[in-house]
Amino acid sequence: MLKVENLHAKVGDKEILKGINLEVKAGEVHAIMGPNGSGKSTLASVLAGNEKFTVTEGKVEFEGENLLDLPIEERSRKGLFLGFQYPVEIPGVSMANFMKIAVNEQRKYRGLEPLTAAEYLKMMKEKSAIVELDSKLTSRAVNEGFSGGEKKKNEIFQMAMLDPKLAILDETDSGLDIDALRIVATGVTRLKREDNATVVITHYQRLLDYIVPDYVHVLYKGRIIYTGDKTLALKLEKEGYDWLINDYKEE
Amino acid sequence: MEKDTQNILQELEASDYKYGFVTDIETETIGRGLNEDVIRLISEKKGEPEWMLESRLKAYRHWLTLEHPNWAHLDIPEIDFQDVIYYAAPKQKKQLNSMDEVDPELKRTFDKLGIPLEEQMALAGVAVDAVMDSVSVKTTFRDTLAEKGIIFCSISEAIKEHPELIKRYLGSVVPYTDNFYAALNAAVFSDGSFCYIPKGVRCPMELSTYFRINAEGTGQFERTLIVADEGSYVSYLEGCTAPRRDENQLHAAVVEIVVEKDADVKYSTVQNWYPGDKEGKGGIYNFVTKRGLCREGAHLSWTQVETGSAITWKYPSCVLLGDNSSGEFYSVAMTNNYQQADTGTKMIHIGKNTRSRIVSKGISAGKSQNAYRGLVRVAKGADNARNYSQCDSLLIGDKCGAHTFPVIDSYNPSAVLEHEATTSKISEEQLFYCNQRGLSTEDAVGLIVNGYAREVLAKLPMEFAVEAQKLLAISLEGSVG
Amino acid sequence: MTERIIEAFAASPIPAGCCTESGRWVLRAEADTDITIAEGAAVELLIVDGAKAVNIDIDVRKGATLRIVEVVAQHSATQLSIAIANNGECSLTQVVTSPSDVRVAASLVEEGASFKHNGCFILVGEEQGSVTVDVNHMAAECISHTAVKGVAADKAHGSFSGLVYVAPGAQHTDSVQSSRNVTIGEARIETLPQLEIYADDVKCSHGATVGQMDSEAILYMRQRGLSTAQAKRLQIEGFVQDVAMHSAIESLAEELMTLINAKLNSL
Repeated sequence: MLKVENLHAKVGDKEILKGINLEVKAGEVHAIMGPNGSGKSTLASVLAGNEKFTVTEGKVEFEGENLLDLPIEERSRKGLFLGFQYPVEIPGVSMANFMKIAVNEQRKYRGLEPLTAAEYLKMMKEKSAIVELDSKLTSRAVNEGFSGGEKKKNEIFQMAMLDPKLAILDETDSGLDIDALRIVATGVTRLKREDNATVVITHYQRLLDYIVPDYVHVLYKGRIIYTGDKTLALKLEKEGYDWLINDYKEE
Repeated sequence: MEKDTQNILQELEASDYKYGFVTDIETETIGRGLNEDVIRLISEKKGEPEWMLESRLKAYRHWLTLEHPNWAHLDIPEIDFQDVIYYAAPKQKKQLNSMDEVDPELKRTFDKLGIPLEEQMALAGVAVDAVMDSVSVKTTFRDTLAEKGIIFCSISEAIKEHPELIKRYLGSVVPYTDNFYAALNAAVFSDGSFCYIPKGVRCPMELSTYFRINAEGTGQFERTLIVADEGSYVSYLEGCTAPRRDENQLHAAVVEIVVEKDADVKYSTVQNWYPGDKEGKGGIYNFVTKRGLCREGAHLSWTQVETGSAITWKYPSCVLLGDNSSGEFYSVAMTNNYQQADTGTKMIHIGKNTRSRIVSKGISAGKSQNAYRGLVRVAKGADNARNYSQCDSLLIGDKCGAHTFPVIDSYNPSAVLEHEATTSKISEEQLFYCNQRGLSTEDAVGLIVNGYAREVLAKLPMEFAVEAQKLLAISLEGSVG
Repeated sequence: MTERIIEAFAASPIPAGCCTESGRWVLRAEADTDITIAEGAAVELLIVDGAKAVNIDIDVRKGATLRIVEVVAQHSATQLSIAIANNGECSLTQVVTSPSDVRVAASLVEEGASFKHNGCFILVGEEQGSVTVDVNHMAAECISHTAVKGVAADKAHGSFSGLVYVAPGAQHTDSVQSSRNVTIGEARIETLPQLEIYADDVKCSHGATVGQMDSEAILYMRQRGLSTAQAKRLQIEGFVQDVAMHSAIESLAEELMTLINAKLNSL
């Protein structure tokens, strides 16, 4: 589904990604961990197509197509979803209106008819139930005045609405209390199928109790320096990154 | 830093206007009043060519058609322009070759002002074109500058020696038709400085002019022209101190700056002319037109610390004509007692990708009025223009006023313009905290005000910054009960 | 369109001159009118401007609460003067969809008065319009918030002029004034957010922006599959709809949104 080869990217003159290799197949869950400033969020932004970053080298294939040639919205319509670490507030733009346009743009891209108002409302109702999102929130402006937990639930709600092939969740667990974490994580698990994939960027093992990864990658200084299975996350939680980083330094 | 603070404290002890003394030099003046004959006389005394006289007369005739501007937030007493002396020069006819020839009395004046005109200047890297009243008396380091092809002289000399440059640039940024005081200045300007930095030259030292109004009842009509040719750089300092007077004195200067392609000019001013006494008697009326024109990729930065004058009317501006040019305006304006200030800037964006930044810090104390007035205009073709303005006011006491009058005018949809303003006072908590640590209230206010103005003071050259800090503290005297 | 709003609001015409008691009222601004809101009353008032230049003077008495929605959909030049007494509260939402000269002067004449004002103007084609808001803090302990948004498209020319005046002795004034504007095409926007302050223990701030749209929001919307053009359009809609969403009279929010949308559709 996603194939990243030797990806280098910079912001301004600062190189942040220094040769990322990563392959994600349908049905898989990948976790990306690593100390602060290692490039995790940059990787997510670059894959989503944030123009702030410049790709200097490497290749990214998504569903057999060169992802790097596509603008951000086309990547989205093809089925790539980014759950933002800090979802932005958009005053005056109602959640319902915003999502309606997003859903119908995607349908248009896939050659489908736009949803009728009734179909859309039904869909909203169903999907908001997945993350126990208060239906009142969908009539408010996008993320405006939402609590930290509500913003993250709102991200997963939108993921449910857009039904992506690949979801990249950037620190979706940060700033959540234990109940909100459970709701968000359960929501993600319920959306999991054999034909889609998830990449979870996180600092903490606790999210991975709910969303069980097939692979755990450690990102450090712009490279993936180690890949293991779900037990790696437990080991990192207990021992930190030092043993890995030390190994890496000796190389 | 501790030493600075110590100095400020000492300065605070001297309660009267520190620079309020009169130099006893013989001064040659012409009678009061203004007419074409007076202009002819000024021109003749300065030995000017005919074209210069013509240009003065043209400006004078235009001035006669104008009315005194009254849009500012100022209470300006009626000025009788026929009761002003338009020309005064120290009687020093012969050319000076060395420092020894300078009138000892004049030298002592500069020493009292803390401006050593001698060897220290070399160490400090400053060349001074000292303007005592209206005629340039002494220019130092001209040789060093000449080696680089830099011209730094009085405007009178420039008119004689570099007529081609004067004809090309004088009035090109501030034409005599610009406003009432620009017209008056163009008609009667007595002297001022001229500076030309050739292509690609980085001026090796800070150029500095100390203006000083000396003769009683003399109007000061300075004219400054700075031309920074392509790719050059210069940092220019203008500092003013004036002796105390009971009569109001009129000052109407014009500063023009031409910043050619990729050139960079930094213009810093510390203005501490006599502000009048505690009852609002006396003090300088300061009506200044300052403007710079930026060509492609050029950069102009204005920094001003205004603590003096009874009335200040001054808007150093940038015309960002060339693509990718940028302008900055950093200002601290402090008013105390009965002072009035209406000052700010204009940023006119004409070229593409032009940038400007405005930081204005107003401080009002006593019964003074302090206004920021600004204009940011983005013309149709000025794609991607950016401006950020921040205008803060600090009020000390409940008898003063602080005002903000910005205008933002955009003709271009790609412009991003932002203006913010806040008003604050020095809080009881801050004072209590400082008092508890043993500072007197007056010291505490001085420190807090300097902290408030830091962002602007930091833009000044080092030695200027120290003087400016002291000035802020001195000007605050008696403002805290 | 405005008739529909009046119908939806279903209120009686406000009685002029005498003291208005609590309730819901409507005023068609066709002639000079004096209104007094009785002490302690809670009033909702819909003002619909006619194509005229009229003066509306409103006295908000001690402890009264007045919520106003003013709809300016015809070419008008209404001057709204509001004086607010001790602990009186006035909130005002203005929606201007016509090229008009709209003026508001609010005077906080006694301690504890408050004035909250939000509004928007939308100008297209070659329309010219202005909104002027003068807030006078004449007494201590008063609050004023003003937020006006402007959209000018095509060759329109919009201007905002605001003045917050704080009189000597009006200590503990809390005043915020904001002017935010967007231009599209060859339109021109002019904004003058002014402060005139004669008291020292005050909290006064103002901000003005032109063309400052949040690029993060555009990015966010594109990630959800919207084109840049769609995202920008939605953002401008949101920018002004925000005013309707925070309408002083909540029950009119929907109607105001419809009015705004109709105007935006002519962009």
